[in-house]
Amino acid sequence: MSRRVVAHPILGDLIEEEVIEFEFEGLKLKALKSDTIASALISNGIDIFGFSESGKPKGFFCAIGKCSSCLVVVDGVPNVRACITPVRDGMRVERQKGKGKPVW
Amino acid sequence: MVKKVQALVIGAGPAGLCGSIAIAENGVEVLVVDEGLVPGGQLPKQTHKFFGHEGFFASVRGFEIGEKLYNDAVNLGVKFLMKTTVSGIYEDVIVLYDRENERIYEINADYVLIATGASERFISFKKNYLPGVYGAGAVQTLMNQYRVLPGNDFLIVGAGNIGLIVAYQLLQAGANVKAIVEASNKVGGYLVHANKVKRMGVPILLRHTIVEAIGEERVRGAVISEVDDSFNPIKGTEKELAVDTICLAVGLQPSIELAAQAGAEIKYIPELGGYVPIRDENMKTTVDNVYIAGDLASIEEASTAMIEGYIAGYNIAQKITGLDLSENISKMKKELEEFRRGPFSGKVRKGLKKFGVEFPEGGFRTEPQKDEGPAGKLRVKIECPQNIPCNPCETSCPTGAIDVGGNINGLPYVDYDKCIGCGVCVMKCPGLAIFLVQELSDYSIVGIPYEFELPEKGEKVLLLDRNGEIVGEGEIEKIVRNSKGKTHIVYLKVPKGLEDNVRHFVRHEEKEEEIVCRCEEITRSEIEKAIEEGYTDFEELRRYLRISMGPCGGRVCRLQTLSIISLKTGIPISELESGRFRPPSIPIPFKAILKGDEKDEI
Ligand SMILES: Cc1cc2nc3c(=O)[nH]c(=O)nc-3n(C[C@H](O)[C@H](O)[C@H](O)COP(=O)(O)OP(=O)(O)OC[C@H]3O[C@@H](n4cnc5c(N)ncnc54)[C@H](O)[C@@H]3O)c2cc1C
Ligand code: SF4
Ligand code: SF4
Ligand code: FES
Repeated sequence: MSRRVVAHPILGDLIEEEVIEFEFEGLKLKALKSDTIASALISNGIDIFGFSESGKPKGFFCAIGKCSSCLVVVDGVPNVRACITPVRDGMRVERQKGKGKPVW
Repeated sequence: MVKKVQALVIGAGPAGLCGSIAIAENGVEVLVVDEGLVPGGQLPKQTHKFFGHEGFFASVRGFEIGEKLYNDAVNLGVKFLMKTTVSGIYEDVIVLYDRENERIYEINADYVLIATGASERFISFKKNYLPGVYGAGAVQTLMNQYRVLPGNDFLIVGAGNIGLIVAYQLLQAGANVKAIVEASNKVGGYLVHANKVKRMGVPILLRHTIVEAIGEERVRGAVISEVDDSFNPIKGTEKELAVDTICLAVGLQPSIELAAQAGAEIKYIPELGGYVPIRDENMKTTVDNVYIAGDLASIEEASTAMIEGYIAGYNIAQKITGLDLSENISKMKKELEEFRRGPFSGKVRKGLKKFGVEFPEGGFRTEPQKDEGPAGKLRVKIECPQNIPCNPCETSCPTGAIDVGGNINGLPYVDYDKCIGCGVCVMKCPGLAIFLVQELSDYSIVGIPYEFELPEKGEKVLLLDRNGEIVGEGEIEKIVRNSKGKTHIVYLKVPKGLEDNVRHFVRHEEKEEEIVCRCEEITRSEIEKAIEEGYTDFEELRRYLRISMGPCGGRVCRLQTLSIISLKTGIPISELESGRFRPPSIPIPFKAILKGDEKDEI
């Protein structure tokens, strides 16, 4: 299922843009260049971004960087807010489990 | 090294942008810092037209307002640092974190305008942590800025303006909205917003709340229930809805952290949204060089956020330059006063009064117009029953036929002698609350504001009333495209007598376009031909064509058939014989009938 809003009565048709590839939990996924990690995951039908300390599934909530509900691990670095971080070609994204240890 | 700026604005929403414009207009250097990816705050995700008056972009869509204000600011030399969070305000320094370059900056500013807006509230219900439970603003950000829908079938919690707007925007993006639940006994948002979704068939369930999200890994449904007078769920009234997304629109709370760090006194004033910084009528906090504006100061709307931004900005510019800007300041204060006179500002007026900032109320027309105009003339029908701060109907009409009676909160009246039925106001009204009607001898015309994929001229459509119920069938008579404003007018040919009911339509699905009676597969042209042959009565048609003899019992085809008769004969549906309603009204298996014989209890 594609969740892209391709045609829109107000915003017009989605302008063709560069498609990039990133990795999520070992899967190769496609995204648009203008996507955040969150929008890229959602457009691929993925709503579970991680798990809480006690194992509850977590997704995004505010989408503007305020609630930290969307934390993921990017290229090995935890606590990245998926909703305000642009996705990049070749990026490796993983679900974060629990708090995630800081990387120095 | 600590960089120094004359004026720092935190937040590039409407309040911060207008503040920066007011400061830069007077030759002062301004830096705007915002943590978002694009400037505009809440504006870039708003695809609907805003209320207010033209001076503050009424009738312009939110995302376009954001672009316009940003360009104005850039042209005045305002500097922007996006993707940068103000992470702390200390006594001697302000710390910024640039996410993209992973850098910390330290700056100092002579004056600070804090316009950090608000964040969305959360409410508790079982399993509210599940992916699929999202804030309304988040859903908007995804669908309107990133063009992805986080689900297909939505439940919206909260019938304030935000919940209503998100529902409408979801429909525009192609999603289904199963229901809007609202705990109180009335719609909190503007009725014109509510009407837009009601006529498309979205139920607004008052005195209802969500009690549980269903699902293991993500939302697969929701349990809603009725609530009592103290908003507690009533046991036994639970209902399950098959939805995959639950969208919370239960209010906003001011983002006060930075204002508090700057030393501004904070007070709990529920009418203003919770904890807010205290400020005077010039938007100055209890700290001399710290000003605030917008949702941070009180949860309100974009026009007042803009005006407050200007007031704060002119005051800062005046302090820095020593110029006398009192004229600009009092002009903006007057604007604010006019906006805040209405009933929807009641809470804000009450809240502000608690720290001595007073705004007058009333002074606008409250009596709705009774005169509906001369039947037979193409004229407007305005359905805008509340005192909301809005007047594009008045300012857009080329013949001056509409007025709101002075204050912007007044109810609009039409001078039917002046109205030429041109439709300009229909396209401009942000409430999509103006329709065109004309009663003709054989049928009537209803012109409706329409912001969805356009139908074809001549297409047969199902007519919907104000609650989204099918009331008959009609035909697209004419379409007036509005390529710039995107609110088009679709003129419908409707059966006589329905001009006062029809407020929307749905298109037949392509395949079923011509089939009126699905059970017996009878097409429109067969019915039309039969009418031409003289079968102009529903019962006659039924016997002749077997129409409505199928298992649906006429549910689907009766009104459509009556509409076709009405359109062809010019007789209003109300005066047509509707035919007999024969039992059984749904197909019942013989087994059930036999079983019924065995035992008589239910
Ligand atoms: C769904 C929805 C629909 C709405 N519809 C309407 C409408 O039809 N008409 C209307 O008039 N109003 C409407 N509003 C309200 C209107 O959008 C707000 O009142 C208005 O945006 C408030 O402006 P603001 O500048 O105070 O805050 P915002 O627009 O919220 O901007 C605040 C900015 O501050 C930034 N920020 C916050 N903290 C920091 C920090 N620490 N560091 C850096 N930057 C920071 C944020 O990134 C944001 O860009 C709607 C609001 C919502 C949510
Ligand atoms: S239809 Fe035209 S003339 Fe009539 S009120 Fe609207 S804008 Fe004015
Ligand atoms: S009818 Fe006039 S006042 Fe009412 S929403 Fe439309 S433009 Fe605004
Ligand atoms: S969803 Fe709230 S911080 Fe990302």
